[in-house]
Amino acid sequence: MLFFRPGRVAEAVALLAEHEEARCLAGGATLVAMMNAGLVTPGALVSLAGIPELARISAGTDGGLRIGAMTRHNDTAGSLLFHAGQRVVPAAAARIANQVVRNMGTMGGSISFADPAADYLPALVAAEATVEIAGPQGPRLVPIADFVTDWYTTALEPGELVTAILVPPAPAGSIGIYEKLDRVAGDFAIASVALVLALEDGICRAARIAIGGCGPAPVRLVEAEAGLVGTTLTDAGIAAAGALLAAACDPVDDVRASAAYRRAVVPRLLAKTIDRARRALAA
Amino acid sequence: MKIEDSFVVAAPRERVWASITDPAIVAPCVPGCQGVEVVSPTVYRAQVRVQLGPIKAQFAVEVTLVSETPPEEVRSRTRGDERSLASTLSADNVLRLRALGAAETEVYYASEVAVVGKLGKFGLGVMQKKAASLGRDFAAAFKERVEAVAVP
Repeated sequence: MLFFRPGRVAEAVALLAEHEEARCLAGGATLVAMMNAGLVTPGALVSLAGIPELARISAGTDGGLRIGAMTRHNDTAGSLLFHAGQRVVPAAAARIANQVVRNMGTMGGSISFADPAADYLPALVAAEATVEIAGPQGPRLVPIADFVTDWYTTALEPGELVTAILVPPAPAGSIGIYEKLDRVAGDFAIASVALVLALEDGICRAARIAIGGCGPAPVRLVEAEAGLVGTTLTDAGIAAAGALLAAACDPVDDVRASAAYRRAVVPRLLAKTIDRARRALAA
Repeated sequence: MKIEDSFVVAAPRERVWASITDPAIVAPCVPGCQGVEVVSPTVYRAQVRVQLGPIKAQFAVEVTLVSETPPEEVRSRTRGDERSLASTLSADNVLRLRALGAAETEVYYASEVAVVGKLGKFGLGVMQKKAASLGRDFAAAFKERVEAVAVP
């Protein structure tokens, strides 16, 4: 197996074009584990560790953030650049696996693998992020809601790689909460809820809800959110939104939980998450 | 894991039966299938490529017909070997045709699939979803092929 460590994105793109069986190596938290298990045997690895521009979080003047694809989960979790509802992203980062994995794993690597039970995707959907991609045809931007196209499949074409994730400013006065139901701390989610919520005098001004672990991609529904905005977030209203979201889920049966259990738990997890957001906003 | 689905073909049951028991028609409709070899009237072999995320598998598949009740039911057994991933799959399949009208047939299929080896680590839940989506691709391709045949 060949190993490359380019210093620039353009070099990485050229190497991927040259070696068809090459894979990008980001943090290695998943890829190396899969190689060790003998499930993946790439012909070449293109390490992204030597490209400085990929490993930075920077804030624009409008408060929008650019998170380099090689940003480690721990750096995201501890970053003070995220504000208001954007904090759903570091909140999710803090819930990924354990300290060791968070020191290794990267945001670009995590979303490129697109594990449906992983933590970033729902948070980024709730944050309305955009994925910045480099490839042989040049750079392009893909809204996170269009990034995952099927189970473990993304909009990335052969030879392309994620260079950054762009998180826009969150609605004024909003808060970002990530809630995850897991068997033990650090496990993949049975189901998760990423929420960006803004309240004004007890009235919901903005609500973005993304459900993780319940389908190939996070589930977000405009009608579920529209039913909450402008209301005082009554129990009945939250239950109705939860029911809509649960119906839109397409979960798997696996060792963590049955599909039916996942559907049943979504409305309750949503109610719990909204309750946490309200308390945090009141405090 | 159990895979079960059905689809409707706009063709009479006899024609659907003739098509679905003909490896020359079925094989091109199976996603990733190539190199079909008819070993005997009841045994077929083929290579089937499947990709799930970063994992690429190529199965050497052997299908053995167990029983045939024309034009209603076929029972078969599938065995597939994936050498580089040291995995095998085995499946007991049943396929039933039901006439919904003179020119409409429902195709029902069910498989009880077992996967053993490294691929087993990946989790059957997602494999089941993948199998369901491959099943839908097959149904679409098969419908197109059979419905395109001019009614004699």
